[in-house]
Amino acid sequence: MILRISTLALLLLASCGQQEAADIELSNAWARPTVGQAPGAVYLTIENKGGQPDRLTGAFTDHAAMAMVHQNEVVDGIAKMRMAGEINIPARDRIEMRPGGTHIMLEGLRAPLRSGDDFDLVLKFRNSKDQAVKVTVTNPEGK
Amino acid sequence: MTNHRIRVILWVLVAIAAIGGIWIALQPPSPASRESGLATIGGPFTLTGSDARPFPSSRLNGKPAAIFFGFTHCPDVCPTTLARLVKLRRQLDGGDNAMSIVFISVDPERDGPAEVGSYASLFGAPVVGLTGKPDDIERVKKLYGVFSQRVEQPGGYTVDHSASVFLMDRNGHFVATLSPDEGDAVALAKIKRLQA
Repeated sequence: MILRISTLALLLLASCGQQEAADIELSNAWARPTVGQAPGAVYLTIENKGGQPDRLTGAFTDHAAMAMVHQNEVVDGIAKMRMAGEINIPARDRIEMRPGGTHIMLEGLRAPLRSGDDFDLVLKFRNSKDQAVKVTVTNPEGK
Repeated sequence: MTNHRIRVILWVLVAIAAIGGIWIALQPPSPASRESGLATIGGPFTLTGSDARPFPSSRLNGKPAAIFFGFTHCPDVCPTTLARLVKLRRQLDGGDNAMSIVFISVDPERDGPAEVGSYASLFGAPVVGLTGKPDDIERVKKLYGVFSQRVEQPGGYTVDHSASVFLMDRNGHFVATLSPDEGDAVALAKIKRLQA
């Protein structure tokens, strides 16, 4: 009996270790219009439907010279924008980027973003393969 | 000195104090100090408008104003704040004409009149974009107690800056601040009080 239970327990433990990998899905990517040389900010939802966490490590687009994951925070009334480093995407969870927090900053845009335009953005993850998403340029009020 | 002379001098002093006291009592109370103890925030200034001409703050008098300090290379907090102000203003009686929304650059190195002008035009509603010589900007920052600091980043620099909006009444007196994380209901109530 004890043998049976311990076998079962071992099997359970083994199955835990073999959970499905991270399964990343990107959606709802948008940016406000820009003017002149000003950079843009992309917001999107990253959903991890898999059983393992993953990490967002970078972003690329042909539309700008540089795409960087940025984190904004207000400390003692001062708004500070910094490179975010890697962002953890927990298993079976989602990260919704919203104005005033995390965003993908596009520096050196090839052309200013205009309402109604769209362009491709690729996100890079530590474990999952690269994921592309279409970014829609909204009206100035954003979403 | 005789006792008599000392007495005369003392009476003269008493008279001066009495006249001074009556004069102070007769002064009308300043509206700003009546509304808040923070009357030291704000004050008259002259900056540069998007037409490259001097813009005296007296041009804002006659209607309330929401003043925000930012920079055009700010992709997130600044457009979010300005778009929010535009949205809130639409809910006032008088709509876009009910209040001035003023964007003052704390990055005069990159933001000339043309840059602040086109940035201010992004929001589909009137926004006053102002910049100026670095010394002028520093002076206005000091008037409003605004902090900003250049921070080097890969691919350029960013500017840390005060995130609050300053709400001024129709006479240019400070009334309240709006913070980014207070709800729209509170923000709208504060803005409506400006119109009263």
